[in-house]
Amino acid sequence: MKYFRWIALTLMIIALILPLITFLLKAFARGWFFPQIIPRTWSLAAWERLFSPQSDLLPALLNSGIIALTVTGVALAIGFPAARVLGIGHFPGKRWILLVLLAPALVPPLAVSMGLSTQFLRLGLSGTWIGVSIAHLIPVLPYVILTLSGLFARYDLRYEEQARSLGAGSWAIFRRITLPMLWPGVIAAGLFAFLISWSQYLLTFLIGGGRVITLPILLFASTSGGDNAVIAALSLVMIAPALLVLIFASRSLEQGTIR
Amino acid sequence: MRFWWLLLLLLATFSVDAQTEEAPQPLPAPPGFESWQAVLDQARGTTIYWYVWGGSEAINAFIDTFYGEPLLEEYGITLERVPVVDTVDVVNLILSEQSADIIDTGGVVDLIWINGENFATLKQADMLYQDWAETIPNSVLVNWEDPAIAYDFGVPVEGDESPWSSAQLHFIYDSARMSEDQLPSNYDELTVWIEQNPGRFTYIAPGPGAFQGTRFVKQVLYHVSGGYEQWVGPWNPTLYAEWAPRLWDYLNVWETNLWRGGETYPATENELLQLFANGEVDFALTQATSGAETYISQGLIPETSRAFTLTEYAIGDYNYVAIPRNATNKAAALIVANLLLRPDRQAGHILPESGFGLGYAISLDRVNEEDRALLEASLAQLGETAADPAALAAAFAPDLAPESQSVIEQDWEANVLR
Repeated sequence: MKYFRWIALTLMIIALILPLITFLLKAFARGWFFPQIIPRTWSLAAWERLFSPQSDLLPALLNSGIIALTVTGVALAIGFPAARVLGIGHFPGKRWILLVLLAPALVPPLAVSMGLSTQFLRLGLSGTWIGVSIAHLIPVLPYVILTLSGLFARYDLRYEEQARSLGAGSWAIFRRITLPMLWPGVIAAGLFAFLISWSQYLLTFLIGGGRVITLPILLFASTSGGDNAVIAALSLVMIAPALLVLIFASRSLEQGTIR
Repeated sequence: MRFWWLLLLLLATFSVDAQTEEAPQPLPAPPGFESWQAVLDQARGTTIYWYVWGGSEAINAFIDTFYGEPLLEEYGITLERVPVVDTVDVVNLILSEQSADIIDTGGVVDLIWINGENFATLKQADMLYQDWAETIPNSVLVNWEDPAIAYDFGVPVEGDESPWSSAQLHFIYDSARMSEDQLPSNYDELTVWIEQNPGRFTYIAPGPGAFQGTRFVKQVLYHVSGGYEQWVGPWNPTLYAEWAPRLWDYLNVWETNLWRGGETYPATENELLQLFANGEVDFALTQATSGAETYISQGLIPETSRAFTLTEYAIGDYNYVAIPRNATNKAAALIVANLLLRPDRQAGHILPESGFGLGYAISLDRVNEEDRALLEASLAQLGETAADPAALAAAFAPDLAPESQSVIEQDWEANVLR
């Protein structure tokens, strides 16, 4: 059993790390052709271009970060109470509500995006980061609600009753009982929210109208070409914050677990 | 800049002395503007949003400096280049603005790099700013009588888009692997070459997003049917039905000797370039006047790569910029379109440093002596990694009508791929 765990761990590390190594090599290589196992010429050209004063990279990083964090915050604020009702409550039509909430995750994105784009234009939300953030909530919310409502389904309300009987107010119950107990789930839902928003291309392009340049807009544009060094460098920049969030999240997951 | 003053001067002379017969016809002002001066005045101090395919960092950087700097310094216009994955996304953006009743102004897109189907879609949707391309000062340098310019994939341009550069499909080989005299010079020699070198040739699978592959198959169609002349003009399904079986036969004869026995084909230009770079096949395709150098300088293919063309049927066309009907900053868009045609900019974009190295959109016969020297010097600079411009010109063939595109793609899949 112990060996099995080690093998699984090693395989996972290989699956996760090996592609990253290829990206690292590619991002610093120039003209890496078969049969060279390791690039013959190294170059910082791709990085110099990405970080040159003319490059759109830094503003794009900032945009992506602001939007993803906003979306995460708002999605949790909306998703948490919704998931509580859906996870704990029993009422007629609950299944239908769930279906409607999940619909954006099931319908092809282009169909949704084109219609949304027209509506957002009418509302004057297009071309703004706020509009883009609101649009991101649509694919994000189903994941957040689903993750959290699953947790609430197994959540024992009697802990809250106990606290209330000891004189705790609503806020104290939320802060001292509900949140700590559900913390791992909240972190997981937040992670989903952040990563889904962080990697949106089509919605960002259509709602942002090309005026809100985020990292995926740059990355997708460059993958449509063939400059492997730039694609690899951009991909690394794209993965880096996601990895950081993941590491941070996994640490707080460990801390938050009730043993 | 000098050219521009010269033109103004010419125009001024004309208005003073109307009898001068040699002075060119004064250009009408772009629709919605009093004069070109009004365009310049209105554009100063504004920002233009130009939506450009963003797949190449080299092109991106080139656009930002080579056009962005003169725009700011000479015209007071800030260029915001918006990178796009596929121009069809921009078309969708404009169409959704249309359905939100943003029709005549207020759109986010000021200028698009465009051609073919996307142009046809916007024209059909009546979402293009019209009749402007022959009103910008440098449009006099464009030979609008050339059908290759006046028709974009068979759709009449009618002043709704202005050319930027030209492209012509030809081949790349590696001079370290084979010598010049081993190269096939026509399609029959290519057939022999494929037979003698099994597994060493392939072409891009015709399909949406891989028009180079479709174009290559059209070139073979011209060869099989004995010339392109009969194909000029509207799409002729009868003629196609007559020759298509021969075309598929011709390609199927190749198939067993193609890369991977023709079971699969590279899906994009870049996949073919990578197969070539990694030594799996011996030929790649390019559209660039600057030939192999464009890709060499980006480190995509070996430095010993060279470009060449077969003696016949190298399909060429032009690419354009268009202004949406609802563009907010049409004045600045007109100025950018005009700048793209300026001889000193044209002399720059054909060089590999531009990232695309495509050919001229202006005609060498229509520029003054000084500019002509400049343009010729640029051509001479292309050197040994480019195909001989004279050979390319001799092999030129126009593209088929746009209806052919999807028909050929579907039939190829049914008759060759399967």
